[in-house]
Amino acid sequence: MVNPVDPVQTSSPPTSSVLKPATQQSPDMSSQQPQPSTGASKPAKPSKQPKSKDALPTAGGAPAEEKLSPAELKKRAKAEKAARRARERAERDATGGAGATQGPNAASAKRGSTGGAGGKEAPGQPQKGQRHRRGSATLASATEQKKKPEDKSVAVFGHLYGQPRRTTVAGAGKEVHPAVLALGLQMSNYVICGSSARCVATLLAFKRVIEAYTTPLGTSLSRHLTTHLSHQITYLSTCRPLSISQGNAIRALKLEISSIDPSVPEADAKATLSDFIDSFIREKITVADQVIATSAAQKIQDGDVIVTFAGSSIVKQTLLTAHKQGKKFRVSIIDSRPLFEGKNMARTLANAGLEVQYSLVNGISHAIKDATKVFLGAHAMTSNGRLYSRVGTALVAMSAKERAGGVEVPVIVCCETVKFTDRVALDSIVVNEIADADELVPNQPLQQVTGLPGPAAAAAPADPKKGGNKAAPNNPPAESTPVPNGSSPLANWKDTPNLQLLNIMYDVTPAEYVDMVVTEMGSLPPSAVPIVHRMSTNL
Amino acid sequence: MASSMSKSSEAAKPFDIVATYNELLRSDPDLTMPIAAIEALVLLLTHSPSSTISETLDLLEKSTAHLKKSIPNPIGLSAGTDLFQRYLITTLQRPGQLGPAGDFNAIRAHLLSNGRLFIRRAKESRHKIAAFGGGFVRDGSTVLTNGGSRVVASLLQKAADEKGGPSAVRFRVIYVLSPAKDTSAEPEGMETVRALRAKGVPVATIPESAVAYSLGKTDIVIVGAEGVVENGGIVSRMGTYQIGLLAKAMGKPFYAVAESHKFVRLYPLGQYDLPIEQRVIDFNTEEDITDGHKPQSVAHSSDVVDFTPPHLISALITDSGVLTPSAVSEELIKIWF
Repeated sequence: MVNPVDPVQTSSPPTSSVLKPATQQSPDMSSQQPQPSTGASKPAKPSKQPKSKDALPTAGGAPAEEKLSPAELKKRAKAEKAARRARERAERDATGGAGATQGPNAASAKRGSTGGAGGKEAPGQPQKGQRHRRGSATLASATEQKKKPEDKSVAVFGHLYGQPRRTTVAGAGKEVHPAVLALGLQMSNYVICGSSARCVATLLAFKRVIEAYTTPLGTSLSRHLTTHLSHQITYLSTCRPLSISQGNAIRALKLEISSIDPSVPEADAKATLSDFIDSFIREKITVADQVIATSAAQKIQDGDVIVTFAGSSIVKQTLLTAHKQGKKFRVSIIDSRPLFEGKNMARTLANAGLEVQYSLVNGISHAIKDATKVFLGAHAMTSNGRLYSRVGTALVAMSAKERAGGVEVPVIVCCETVKFTDRVALDSIVVNEIADADELVPNQPLQQVTGLPGPAAAAAPADPKKGGNKAAPNNPPAESTPVPNGSSPLANWKDTPNLQLLNIMYDVTPAEYVDMVVTEMGSLPPSAVPIVHRMSTNL
Repeated sequence: MASSMSKSSEAAKPFDIVATYNELLRSDPDLTMPIAAIEALVLLLTHSPSSTISETLDLLEKSTAHLKKSIPNPIGLSAGTDLFQRYLITTLQRPGQLGPAGDFNAIRAHLLSNGRLFIRRAKESRHKIAAFGGGFVRDGSTVLTNGGSRVVASLLQKAADEKGGPSAVRFRVIYVLSPAKDTSAEPEGMETVRALRAKGVPVATIPESAVAYSLGKTDIVIVGAEGVVENGGIVSRMGTYQIGLLAKAMGKPFYAVAESHKFVRLYPLGQYDLPIEQRVIDFNTEEDITDGHKPQSVAHSSDVVDFTPPHLISALITDSGVLTPSAVSEELIKIWF
């Protein structure tokens, strides 16, 4: 999944200092093997390493360890001590650093290393290297290590692993309104999914919060309500990281709250805010969607084959609008695991009488073959004109643009201006969202025989998407356990050593792959995103 | 303002906007399509006795639609009408004496005088462009250009003048000429060629088929444009796109010259996405000789246009400065919001 984004990294110079760490990472990224990171962490133990390397031939080659000279013994003791320290440090990082953000800088500073591949990479690799080097000498400590939970986060994305998503309301603060509690769970379970839907739902929930709110004595609404809302927002963001549109809406709402004159009676102020929320939803999303759908539908002509990815509500609306206008065209929906957002869209469009073809992203090269236009939804548009959207979007856009031998297929993005952000994205690593990797596990076909020995070993690399097989097990088939009937070969991935699953949510499509962005303020080239964003926030 | 017409609804009928537009274009060879359209609209307002704002806007909208329908290629024209309409609306929305509260007759007079001012300014913009673009024509360089663009002609002539008279001109021009519609007339652009030669600029004229051959001897390509669209591409006479493609393939800079009133609110995604019908590719199984007219004449290159996408254009030389294609949308947004 990283592939479509790779060219970006190589092609674009680092323009923003904020994103520096990412560009440092990029050499590691290109090859996902553990070797480079071990290499990077080698300088971490500067003085000891050569020594332990000297020790390697003796320890590995000679079974008679007693023959070691005192000096060598001393060396080895030293090395062991260093290994123990590294291990302890790793544990500390793994347990204490659940906040993830604290990770990189502190850890790398301690190690005095180059800051290799983010802080969380530390746990697994260096110890492994040590273990090999010291051979059988520390076998005892090695087995002891195995009992400890292996770090299951993918190194490159280490900084993205925050706390796992909240799945219950247990432990939520008492300030959190029931509507928000429910919303949080709905978002966490993808019942409410999609940038616009989440934005609208949040605003509606906040409307109820504001209705139920009474200003405590000794403070004013304009001062206290913002902090009260902050509790709700914090809760929501533990359920699922907030989308760009949610962030923009909340910012607008807070601005409105703070601009309320403290002398205004509470009832009036609440009415004003509730009106504000209604008009925000109407102007920025409902009506904006209609405007976008109408103007994007104009780009659809008779005989077109429209390719779209996953289930964008605005693209759906556009296609339905064009269909209502009597245009004759086909739709090819490309979907992906694990959310299958395109299924709903396929059904809706087919029910409306459109000719729909549904395929998974694996079949992209076939689906794109007869495409004439690509319509994409957006999670956000960044200020360098890049499209931040459901993972797989970049692949679809690239396939359309690079289609061999064919005429170029225009890629059209439908996006409300509320999804514009002033952030820039150079790659999809620095900013992204990691969902629960368990989502990748189910939906496996039953027993699958793809090779003669060890069906499990063969089935795991066959797992197609999401880069879930990043660290595909290359251990000997002897180790692979036979899979019980009916359960996924990945079912106990957490206990399988050397196996990491990555369930990434978004990717970044380079601006060169986008021909046009349709917004409620008109159609723009991606380069005009920052200008429109500036204008729409100043208005 | 005072007119002999009786009713406002019938006012537009006697005043034929299409005829006025065509007449304006014919009478002044220096006039561009958008400006002619604006001038026709100003004349229309002078002739119509509308007395309210909405009536004026309604009249304007109707005549614009009528005008667009009757002209085979309304892209250039629509830049002018859109701009004028936008200008009217912003003027009318402005608070104060000239806003909705003010006396409508005063507003009208103001609009008309400002409209004329606008036209004068637009005509002057060509000199501004020539000043901006002159620097692109360097000593010892060879410029390839095409078509009958007046703004390109004025740019080249200015550059020739700047170099200090006939003896000091140090650039050469390769002029791509396409054969005229009827064989007796001279090809479009011949006038410019003659003017340049008079100023001592060595000019070579080549047919369209020799562009790739000649590009090796060329340093820069300068073309005119009928309209500049939102993504920074240009709509221009047929053949510009292929020059752009060839220049890109050869790594030669490709500059488009256009006045900023030619910016159109249009976003074509490709050649076949233009809002006009062009019968360029016309499949036939037998030669149509029933009527004396040759079928090719429909697709003659001076009548039809193509779209040059922004990635082929190095820069746009306009009266608001030298812009990259991506800056066009910024300019357009500034006008429209």
